[in-house]
Amino acid sequence: MTSSPQLVLAMLADARLPTGSHAHSAGLEPAVMAGLSDQGRRLDEIPAFARSRLRTVTATEAGTAVVTRHQWLAGGSLSGVEDAWAARTPSAAVRAATRQLGRGYLRLAYGLWPEEMAAAFERGAVPPRPLVLGVIGAVTGLSSRQVAQLVGYDDVQTTASAALKLVPLDPIEAMRWVLQLHPDIDAMADDVERLTEPAEIPASGAPLLDEHAERHAVTTRRLFSA
Amino acid sequence: MSMSQATRIEVRRLDGRLTCTFLGGHLSARRVGAPEGRVRVALVGTVALLLAGDAVRIEVVVGRGVDLEIVEVAGTVAYDMRGGSAEWQVDVHVEDGGVLVWEGLPFVIADGADVTRTMTVVLDGSACAVLRETYVFGRTGEAGGDLRTSTVIAHDDRPLLVEQLDLRAGARIDGAILGTARCFDAVTSLGARIETARPGLLQLESAGSIDRRLAESLHTTGLSQTFRDATAVIRRRNMASSASSSQSEPTGLSVLQTRSSTHRPSRRLPAE
Repeated sequence: MTSSPQLVLAMLADARLPTGSHAHSAGLEPAVMAGLSDQGRRLDEIPAFARSRLRTVTATEAGTAVVTRHQWLAGGSLSGVEDAWAARTPSAAVRAATRQLGRGYLRLAYGLWPEEMAAAFERGAVPPRPLVLGVIGAVTGLSSRQVAQLVGYDDVQTTASAALKLVPLDPIEAMRWVLQLHPDIDAMADDVERLTEPAEIPASGAPLLDEHAERHAVTTRRLFSA
Repeated sequence: MSMSQATRIEVRRLDGRLTCTFLGGHLSARRVGAPEGRVRVALVGTVALLLAGDAVRIEVVVGRGVDLEIVEVAGTVAYDMRGGSAEWQVDVHVEDGGVLVWEGLPFVIADGADVTRTMTVVLDGSACAVLRETYVFGRTGEAGGDLRTSTVIAHDDRPLLVEQLDLRAGARIDGAILGTARCFDAVTSLGARIETARPGLLQLESAGSIDRRLAESLHTTGLSQTFRDATAVIRRRNMASSASSSQSEPTGLSVLQTRSSTHRPSRRLPAE
């Protein structure tokens, strides 16, 4: 069976994909609980938040996916990539959320591309999402740029969609944010699409995002898992 | 003295004796009194720091089974560099069974300062380290200048922590970075975890933790106790592991110089 990479990309970016990602807010709920947007009175802080993520944690995730794709196509091991991602993700809460998302994608990918996925991940493995996306990209013919764009787009769209549940917001306004963030997604993809080695993965830290994620992980009053 | 010369601190255990080798740069290293079995080294500024064009380099090697504590006698102010910049680079290697305890004093980034700080740490085997980094943006009445940091920590060839922070004036106010906080204070434990269960404590994937406080003022971070607790954890661990390895280590430690004074500089902000 062959499918075009463009259609695979559209499918992977579709919110209806059964991966459990609807339970995640890309860190927006933790940030809103910490005061971001001042309970909806400063809505422009939310697209700024998404932009900050693209420059920091999302660049790390996209870089990890791009390097995973390259290493898998080159016949290399993925353990060094996972180590590099983990060393760049100091918050255990963020790592746990990313692995939870990875499990969801992996379950789907096992169903769709069983042989390829079994070769990449042992049964019972809980790789972070960017490793799973990188391997999916490798086996479905996505380019490194498409993999990076997918990670960036998914993060922005997750933030915008979560905003609709967290603050008073017109859905069209949320999608306008996503559209206006396209250049930022592309800029991030420009920075990571040529990466091949784990040591090159971006490591721009975001101390407040880490702090919010850790506090959110222990609260019970929340809509989203992370 | 060349301004590019590195300060080097190397402590090894040779024939049961602890031997220090120091090389002076912008900061000179002096051995001061410490409890038996430990080496305590004070870092003392030899020139005015930190000015445009300065490139401070500090290399630390902790030999096998050595317990080294580095103390700073004063914090550092990075002054207005009037368009220039300065670097502060620390490279640490802790060999198997070694312990490094380094409670850095506040590093103040005055208006107009532009500083890049890089730190690399390599840990072998059961080596541990506890480090404190405190950044204060601006002296009283200032918003503070620019700081960029790069940290690369590896444990037995695997990365343990890789992080770059863009703490330049325009970047750090970002709601993902520091927001409105003027102080960045962190205790980093490597090779062993911080055991307190504080919300917000970062537990790294491999053995290591960061207790990081972003605050308006240093007085509210309360990390000195965390530092002491983390230090106690790695020393306990280290004693247990050296006892279990039960090498017939000569007890020649008693011949080492030890002074009765265990005075430590109090933690304070300079020039305030």
